[in-house]
Amino acid sequence: MSPVVLFDAALALGVLGCAALALTLRDRTGTVAAFMLTGLLVALSWLRLGAPDVALAEAAIGAGLTGALFLRGARRLGPLRARPPAPAQAAAAALGAAVLSAALLWAFATAPAESLYPPRVAAALEDSGVSNPVTAVLLNFRAWDTLLEIAVLVVALLLVMTLSPPRVIPDKLGALVQPFARIVVPVAVLVAGHLLWQGAEAPGGAFQAGAVLAGAGLALVLGGVRVDRRVLRRALTALALAGLAVFTLAALASQAVTGALLGYPDGQAKAWIIAIEGALTLSIAATLCLLFTGYGRRSAR
Amino acid sequence: MSLVATLLGTAMIAAGVGFLLFAALGLWRLPDTLSRLHALTKADTAGLALVALGAACLSDTPAALLPLGLCALLVAVSGATIGHLIARRLMRRPAA
Repeated sequence: MSPVVLFDAALALGVLGCAALALTLRDRTGTVAAFMLTGLLVALSWLRLGAPDVALAEAAIGAGLTGALFLRGARRLGPLRARPPAPAQAAAAALGAAVLSAALLWAFATAPAESLYPPRVAAALEDSGVSNPVTAVLLNFRAWDTLLEIAVLVVALLLVMTLSPPRVIPDKLGALVQPFARIVVPVAVLVAGHLLWQGAEAPGGAFQAGAVLAGAGLALVLGGVRVDRRVLRRALTALALAGLAVFTLAALASQAVTGALLGYPDGQAKAWIIAIEGALTLSIAATLCLLFTGYGRRSAR
Repeated sequence: MSLVATLLGTAMIAAGVGFLLFAALGLWRLPDTLSRLHALTKADTAGLALVALGAACLSDTPAALLPLGLCALLVAVSGATIGHLIARRLMRRPAA
Protein backbone atom coordinates (compact mmCIF):
# COMPACT_ATOMS: atom_id res chain seq x y z
CA MET A 1 0.00 0.00 0.00
CA SER A 2 1.42 3.37 -0.91
CA PRO A 3 1.98 6.00 1.82
CA VAL A 4 -0.63 8.25 0.21
CA VAL A 5 -3.33 5.62 0.55
CA LEU A 6 -2.28 5.04 4.15
CA PHE A 7 -2.52 8.78 4.83
CA ASP A 8 -5.98 8.96 3.26
CA ALA A 9 -7.17 5.97 5.25
CA ALA A 10 -5.86 7.50 8.49
CA LEU A 11 -7.56 10.78 7.57
CA ALA A 12 -10.90 9.08 6.92
CA LEU A 13 -10.67 7.14 10.19
CA GLY A 14 -9.72 10.36 11.99
CA VAL A 15 -12.77 12.19 10.62
CA LEU A 16 -15.07 9.35 11.70
CA GLY A 17 -13.42 9.07 15.11
CA CYS A 18 -13.63 12.81 15.83
CA ALA A 19 -17.25 12.91 14.64
CA ALA A 20 -18.07 10.02 16.97
CA LEU A 21 -16.36 11.86 19.84
CA ALA A 22 -18.30 15.03 19.06
CA LEU A 23 -21.56 13.09 19.29
CA THR A 24 -20.81 10.98 22.33
CA LEU A 25 -18.73 13.12 24.75
CA ARG A 26 -20.75 14.19 27.77
CA ASP A 27 -19.04 17.58 28.14
CA ARG A 28 -19.97 20.56 26.02
CA THR A 29 -16.49 22.02 25.65
CA GLY A 30 -15.18 18.59 24.73
CA THR A 31 -17.83 18.04 22.06
CA VAL A 32 -17.12 21.46 20.53
CA ALA A 33 -13.39 20.71 20.51
CA ALA A 34 -14.08 17.38 18.79
CA PHE A 35 -16.36 19.17 16.30
CA MET A 36 -13.64 21.69 15.45
CA LEU A 37 -11.10 18.88 15.06
CA THR A 38 -13.53 17.10 12.72
CA GLY A 39 -13.80 20.30 10.69
CA LEU A 40 -10.03 20.61 10.37
CA LEU A 41 -9.68 16.99 9.25
CA VAL A 42 -12.56 17.47 6.79
CA ALA A 43 -10.72 20.54 5.43
CA LEU A 44 -7.63 18.36 4.98
CA SER A 45 -9.80 15.81 3.14
CA TRP A 46 -11.07 18.51 0.78
CA LEU A 47 -7.45 19.38 0.08
CA ARG A 48 -6.72 15.73 -0.72
CA LEU A 49 -9.76 15.74 -3.04
CA GLY A 50 -8.28 18.67 -4.94
CA ALA A 51 -10.76 21.31 -3.73
CA PRO A 52 -8.60 23.90 -1.92
CA ASP A 53 -11.35 26.55 -2.11
CA VAL A 54 -13.74 24.36 -0.14
CA ALA A 55 -10.90 23.37 2.21
CA LEU A 56 -10.17 27.03 3.03
CA ALA A 57 -13.84 27.79 3.62
CA GLU A 58 -14.30 24.69 5.77
CA ALA A 59 -11.25 25.43 7.90
CA ALA A 60 -12.09 29.10 8.42
CA ILE A 61 -15.89 29.03 8.69
CA GLY A 62 -16.79 25.39 9.34
CA ALA A 63 -14.17 24.63 11.97
CA GLY A 64 -13.02 28.03 13.25
CA LEU A 65 -15.95 30.43 13.41
CA THR A 66 -18.72 27.86 13.86
CA GLY A 67 -16.64 26.39 16.67
CA ALA A 68 -16.36 29.83 18.28
CA LEU A 69 -20.16 30.30 17.97
CA PHE A 70 -20.72 26.87 19.51
CA LEU A 71 -18.37 27.62 22.41
CA ARG A 72 -20.24 30.84 23.02
CA GLY A 73 -23.55 28.98 22.97
CA ALA A 74 -22.18 26.23 25.23
CA ARG A 75 -21.17 28.85 27.76
CA ARG A 76 -24.70 30.20 27.85
CA LEU A 77 -26.38 26.82 28.04
CA GLY A 78 -24.29 25.60 30.96
CA PRO A 79 -23.28 22.02 31.62
CA LEU A 80 -24.92 19.14 29.86
CA ARG A 81 -27.72 17.66 31.91
CA ALA A 82 -29.74 15.58 29.47
CA ARG A 83 -29.27 11.84 29.68
CA PRO A 84 -27.90 9.96 26.68
CA PRO A 85 -30.63 9.03 24.18
CA ALA A 86 -32.62 5.84 24.68
CA PRO A 87 -31.40 2.79 22.71
CA ALA A 88 -34.45 2.95 20.43
CA GLN A 89 -33.68 6.59 19.58
CA ALA A 90 -30.04 5.79 18.91
CA ALA A 91 -31.03 2.84 16.74
CA ALA A 92 -33.49 4.97 14.75
CA ALA A 93 -30.84 7.64 14.18
CA ALA A 94 -28.31 5.00 13.11
CA LEU A 95 -30.86 3.49 10.72
CA GLY A 96 -31.60 6.91 9.21
CA ALA A 97 -27.89 7.63 8.77
CA ALA A 98 -27.34 4.21 7.18
CA VAL A 99 -30.22 4.72 4.71
CA LEU A 100 -28.92 8.18 3.80
CA SER A 101 -25.38 6.83 3.30
CA ALA A 102 -26.70 3.99 1.12
CA ALA A 103 -28.71 6.47 -0.98
CA LEU A 104 -25.63 8.71 -1.40
CA LEU A 105 -23.47 5.72 -2.32
CA TRP A 106 -26.07 4.63 -4.88
CA ALA A 107 -26.28 8.16 -6.29
CA PHE A 108 -22.50 8.42 -6.65
CA ALA A 109 -22.15 4.90 -8.06
CA THR A 110 -24.76 5.47 -10.76
CA ALA A 111 -23.74 9.05 -11.64
CA PRO A 112 -21.97 9.48 -14.98
CA ALA A 113 -18.21 9.47 -14.49
CA GLU A 114 -17.68 12.82 -16.21
CA SER A 115 -19.34 15.85 -14.67
CA LEU A 116 -21.14 18.08 -17.15
CA TYR A 117 -19.93 21.36 -15.74
CA PRO A 118 -16.11 21.52 -15.88
CA PRO A 119 -15.87 21.56 -19.72
CA ARG A 120 -18.59 24.22 -19.96
CA VAL A 121 -16.93 26.36 -17.27
CA ALA A 122 -13.54 25.92 -18.95
CA ALA A 123 -15.03 26.94 -22.31
CA ALA A 124 -16.50 30.16 -20.92
CA LEU A 125 -13.66 30.99 -18.50
CA GLU A 126 -12.15 33.45 -21.02
CA ASP A 127 -15.15 35.77 -20.77
CA SER A 128 -15.59 35.57 -16.99
CA GLY A 129 -12.94 38.16 -16.10
CA VAL A 130 -11.10 35.78 -13.72
CA SER A 131 -9.03 32.67 -14.22
CA ASN A 132 -10.05 30.75 -11.08
CA PRO A 133 -13.02 28.59 -12.19
CA VAL A 134 -14.52 28.59 -8.67
CA THR A 135 -14.63 32.39 -8.53
CA ALA A 136 -15.94 32.47 -12.11
CA VAL A 137 -18.88 30.26 -11.11
CA LEU A 138 -19.55 32.02 -7.79
CA LEU A 139 -19.34 35.61 -8.97
CA ASN A 140 -20.20 35.40 -12.66
CA PHE A 141 -21.95 32.32 -14.06
CA ARG A 142 -24.02 31.63 -10.95
CA ALA A 143 -23.72 34.98 -9.18
CA TRP A 144 -27.46 34.84 -8.52
CA ASP A 145 -26.90 31.89 -6.12
CA THR A 146 -24.21 33.81 -4.27
CA LEU A 147 -26.51 36.83 -3.95
CA LEU A 148 -29.09 34.60 -2.27
CA GLU A 149 -26.42 33.13 0.03
CA ILE A 150 -25.55 36.61 1.21
CA ALA A 151 -29.25 37.21 1.78
CA VAL A 152 -29.30 34.09 3.99
CA LEU A 153 -26.43 35.53 6.06
CA VAL A 154 -28.38 38.78 6.48
CA VAL A 155 -31.46 36.82 7.58
CA ALA A 156 -29.34 35.03 10.20
CA LEU A 157 -28.08 38.36 11.46
CA LEU A 158 -31.63 39.76 11.60
CA LEU A 159 -32.70 36.73 13.66
CA VAL A 160 -29.87 37.36 16.11
CA MET A 161 -30.93 41.00 16.32
CA THR A 162 -34.54 40.01 16.99
CA LEU A 163 -33.80 37.33 19.56
CA SER A 164 -31.04 39.49 21.11
CA PRO A 165 -29.12 36.85 23.05
CA PRO A 166 -27.01 38.29 25.88
CA ARG A 167 -23.93 40.07 24.67
CA VAL A 168 -20.57 38.49 25.20
CA ILE A 169 -18.30 40.42 27.50
CA PRO A 170 -15.29 38.16 27.82
CA ASP A 171 -13.33 37.71 31.01
CA LYS A 172 -10.13 39.70 31.12
CA LEU A 173 -7.57 37.53 29.45
CA GLY A 174 -4.41 38.97 30.92
CA ALA A 175 -1.16 40.42 29.80
CA LEU A 176 -0.22 38.10 26.96
CA VAL A 177 -3.35 38.57 24.87
CA GLN A 178 -2.57 42.08 23.71
CA PRO A 179 0.84 41.21 22.24
CA PHE A 180 -0.89 38.19 20.66
CA ALA A 181 -3.51 40.44 19.06
CA ARG A 182 -0.82 42.89 17.97
CA ILE A 183 0.79 40.16 15.89
CA VAL A 184 -2.25 38.21 14.77
CA VAL A 185 -4.63 41.02 13.81
CA PRO A 186 -2.35 42.80 11.29
CA VAL A 187 -1.28 39.45 9.83
CA ALA A 188 -4.94 38.43 9.51
CA VAL A 189 -5.80 41.68 7.73
CA LEU A 190 -2.93 41.12 5.27
CA VAL A 191 -3.92 37.49 4.73
CA ALA A 192 -7.55 38.49 4.15
CA GLY A 193 -6.50 41.05 1.55
CA HIS A 194 -4.26 38.49 -0.09
CA LEU A 195 -7.04 35.86 -0.17
CA LEU A 196 -9.47 38.37 -1.66
CA TRP A 197 -7.07 39.45 -4.38
CA GLN A 198 -5.76 36.01 -5.31
CA GLY A 199 -9.33 34.67 -5.54
CA ALA A 200 -9.22 35.81 -9.16
CA GLU A 201 -6.65 33.24 -10.21
CA ALA A 202 -6.13 30.84 -7.28
CA PRO A 203 -8.12 29.49 -4.34
CA GLY A 204 -9.50 32.29 -2.20
CA GLY A 205 -12.27 34.84 -2.39
CA ALA A 206 -14.74 36.84 -0.38
CA PHE A 207 -15.96 34.09 1.96
CA GLN A 208 -12.49 32.94 2.97
CA ALA A 209 -11.16 36.48 3.29
CA GLY A 210 -14.22 37.54 5.28
CA ALA A 211 -13.83 34.61 7.65
CA VAL A 212 -10.16 35.42 8.29
CA LEU A 213 -11.03 39.07 8.90
CA ALA A 214 -13.80 38.00 11.28
CA GLY A 215 -11.23 35.90 13.13
CA ALA A 216 -9.14 39.03 13.59
CA GLY A 217 -12.26 40.79 14.88
CA LEU A 218 -12.87 38.02 17.40
CA ALA A 219 -9.26 38.26 18.56
CA LEU A 220 -9.87 41.97 19.22
CA VAL A 221 -13.13 41.26 21.05
CA LEU A 222 -11.50 38.59 23.22
CA GLY A 223 -8.51 40.88 23.75
CA GLY A 224 -10.80 43.36 25.42
CA VAL A 225 -11.98 45.78 22.73
CA ARG A 226 -15.38 46.89 23.95
CA VAL A 227 -18.05 45.91 21.44
CA ASP A 228 -20.83 47.26 23.58
CA ARG A 229 -20.19 50.77 22.33
CA ARG A 230 -23.31 51.65 20.46
CA VAL A 231 -21.50 53.53 17.69
CA LEU A 232 -19.22 50.59 16.92
CA ARG A 233 -22.13 48.18 16.85
CA ARG A 234 -24.13 50.39 14.51
CA ALA A 235 -21.16 50.79 12.20
CA LEU A 236 -20.63 47.03 12.11
CA THR A 237 -24.33 46.46 11.42
CA ALA A 238 -24.28 48.96 8.57
CA LEU A 239 -21.20 47.23 7.16
CA ALA A 240 -22.87 43.83 7.49
CA LEU A 241 -25.93 45.01 5.56
CA ALA A 242 -23.84 46.88 2.99
CA GLY A 243 -22.71 43.66 1.30
CA LEU A 244 -26.20 42.64 0.30
CA ALA A 245 -26.99 46.24 -0.68
CA VAL A 246 -23.93 46.54 -2.95
CA PHE A 247 -24.57 43.13 -4.50
CA THR A 248 -28.25 43.96 -5.16
CA LEU A 249 -27.35 47.35 -6.59
CA ALA A 250 -24.77 45.67 -8.84
CA ALA A 251 -27.44 43.22 -10.01
CA LEU A 252 -29.85 46.04 -10.82
CA ALA A 253 -27.13 48.12 -12.46
CA SER A 254 -26.02 45.23 -14.64
CA GLN A 255 -29.65 44.67 -15.58
CA ALA A 256 -29.88 48.31 -16.65
CA VAL A 257 -26.56 48.29 -18.53
CA THR A 258 -26.58 44.91 -20.26
CA GLY A 259 -30.18 43.75 -19.97
CA ALA A 260 -29.18 40.63 -18.05
CA LEU A 261 -29.33 40.33 -14.27
CA LEU A 262 -25.70 40.08 -13.09
CA GLY A 263 -24.53 39.86 -16.70
CA TYR A 264 -21.48 42.10 -16.56
CA PRO A 265 -20.58 44.36 -19.51
CA ASP A 266 -18.02 42.86 -21.90
CA GLY A 267 -14.43 43.30 -20.76
CA GLN A 268 -15.34 44.86 -17.42
CA ALA A 269 -16.25 41.68 -15.59
CA LYS A 270 -13.13 41.74 -13.41
CA ALA A 271 -13.78 45.25 -12.10
CA TRP A 272 -17.38 44.34 -11.23
CA ILE A 273 -16.32 41.12 -9.53
CA ILE A 274 -13.64 42.85 -7.45
CA ALA A 275 -16.03 45.60 -6.37
CA ILE A 276 -18.66 43.07 -5.30
CA GLU A 277 -16.15 40.79 -3.60
CA GLY A 278 -14.52 43.65 -1.73
CA ALA A 279 -17.88 44.73 -0.32
CA LEU A 280 -18.79 41.13 0.47
CA THR A 281 -15.53 40.51 2.35
CA LEU A 282 -16.12 43.40 4.76
CA SER A 283 -19.78 42.55 5.08
CA ILE A 284 -19.18 38.84 5.78
CA ALA A 285 -16.53 39.73 8.36
CA ALA A 286 -18.87 42.19 10.11
CA THR A 287 -21.77 39.72 10.01
CA LEU A 288 -19.72 36.88 11.52
CA CYS A 289 -18.38 39.18 14.25
CA LEU A 290 -21.88 40.37 15.13
CA LEU A 291 -23.22 36.81 15.16
CA PHE A 292 -20.58 36.10 17.79
CA THR A 293 -20.92 39.20 19.93
CA GLY A 294 -24.71 39.47 19.73
CA TYR A 295 -27.00 42.42 20.34
CA GLY A 296 -28.65 41.92 23.69
CA ARG A 297 -28.69 44.44 26.49
CA ARG A 298 -27.91 42.06 29.31
CA SER A 299 -24.39 40.79 29.50
CA ALA A 300 -23.08 37.27 29.85
CA ARG A 301 -19.64 36.20 30.85
CA MET B 1 18.45 21.00 -5.63
CA SER B 2 21.64 19.98 -3.96
CA LEU B 3 22.01 16.73 -2.10
CA VAL B 4 23.01 18.56 1.06
CA ALA B 5 19.79 20.56 1.13
CA THR B 6 17.72 17.42 0.58
CA LEU B 7 19.47 15.53 3.36
CA LEU B 8 19.29 18.48 5.73
CA GLY B 9 15.61 19.07 4.95
CA THR B 10 14.67 15.43 5.43
CA ALA B 11 16.61 15.22 8.69
CA MET B 12 14.96 18.35 10.06
CA ILE B 13 11.47 17.18 9.11
CA ALA B 14 12.17 13.82 10.77
CA ALA B 15 13.41 15.56 13.92
CA GLY B 16 10.34 17.84 13.89
CA VAL B 17 7.98 14.89 13.58
CA GLY B 18 9.85 13.27 16.47
CA PHE B 19 9.25 16.37 18.62
CA LEU B 20 5.55 16.34 17.72
CA LEU B 21 5.29 12.64 18.56
CA PHE B 22 6.88 13.28 21.95
CA ALA B 23 4.45 16.16 22.51
CA ALA B 24 1.56 13.80 21.81
CA LEU B 25 3.09 11.16 24.07
CA GLY B 26 3.48 13.75 26.84
CA LEU B 27 -0.14 14.86 26.46
CA TRP B 28 -1.23 11.27 26.75
CA ARG B 29 1.01 9.98 29.54
CA LEU B 30 1.83 12.88 31.87
CA PRO B 31 -0.24 13.04 35.05
CA ASP B 32 -1.50 16.63 35.42
CA THR B 33 -2.44 19.62 33.29
CA LEU B 34 0.63 21.73 34.00
CA SER B 35 3.12 19.03 33.04
CA ARG B 36 1.05 18.24 29.96
CA LEU B 37 1.16 21.91 28.97
CA HIS B 38 4.89 21.92 29.58
CA ALA B 39 5.37 18.99 27.20
CA LEU B 40 2.88 20.19 24.64
CA THR B 41 3.70 23.87 24.16
CA LYS B 42 7.46 23.54 23.91
CA ALA B 43 7.73 20.35 21.90
CA ASP B 44 4.89 21.48 19.64
CA THR B 45 6.46 24.81 18.73
CA ALA B 46 9.92 23.34 18.22
CA GLY B 47 8.53 20.45 16.18
CA LEU B 48 6.54 22.63 13.82
CA ALA B 49 9.42 25.09 13.41
CA LEU B 50 11.72 22.19 12.50
CA VAL B 51 9.21 20.80 9.99
CA ALA B 52 8.85 24.26 8.43
CA LEU B 53 12.64 24.70 8.25
CA GLY B 54 12.98 21.28 6.66
CA ALA B 55 10.27 22.03 4.14
CA ALA B 56 12.03 25.32 3.35
CA CYS B 57 15.23 23.35 2.62
CA LEU B 58 13.32 20.97 0.34
CA SER B 59 11.39 23.65 -1.57
CA ASP B 60 12.76 24.97 -4.85
CA THR B 61 11.35 28.47 -4.70
CA PRO B 62 12.26 31.21 -2.22
CA ALA B 63 8.59 32.26 -2.37
CA ALA B 64 7.71 29.24 -0.24
CA LEU B 65 9.70 30.74 2.65
CA LEU B 66 7.07 33.38 3.44
CA PRO B 67 4.08 31.07 4.09
CA LEU B 68 6.31 28.57 5.93
CA GLY B 69 7.76 31.28 8.14
CA LEU B 70 4.27 32.67 8.75
CA CYS B 71 3.05 29.20 9.77
CA ALA B 72 5.88 28.75 12.27
CA LEU B 73 5.43 32.26 13.67
CA LEU B 74 1.65 32.02 14.06
CA VAL B 75 1.78 28.60 15.70
CA ALA B 76 4.54 29.78 18.05
CA VAL B 77 2.61 32.90 19.04
CA SER B 78 -0.76 31.21 19.46
CA GLY B 79 0.73 28.18 21.22
CA ALA B 80 2.49 30.36 23.78
CA THR B 81 -0.61 32.50 24.34
CA ILE B 82 -2.99 29.56 24.71
CA GLY B 83 -0.59 27.74 27.02
CA HIS B 84 -0.42 30.87 29.16
CA LEU B 85 -4.22 31.21 29.22
CA ILE B 86 -4.79 27.58 30.20
CA ALA B 87 -2.15 27.72 32.94
CA ARG B 88 -3.52 31.03 34.23
CA ARG B 89 -7.03 29.68 34.38
CA LEU B 90 -5.75 26.64 36.25
CA MET B 91 -3.85 28.70 38.83
CA ARG B 92 -6.81 30.98 39.52
CA ARG B 93 -9.33 28.23 39.98
CA PRO B 94 -9.87 27.33 43.61
CA ALA B 95 -8.38 23.92 44.31
CA ALA B 96 -11.11 21.38 43.63
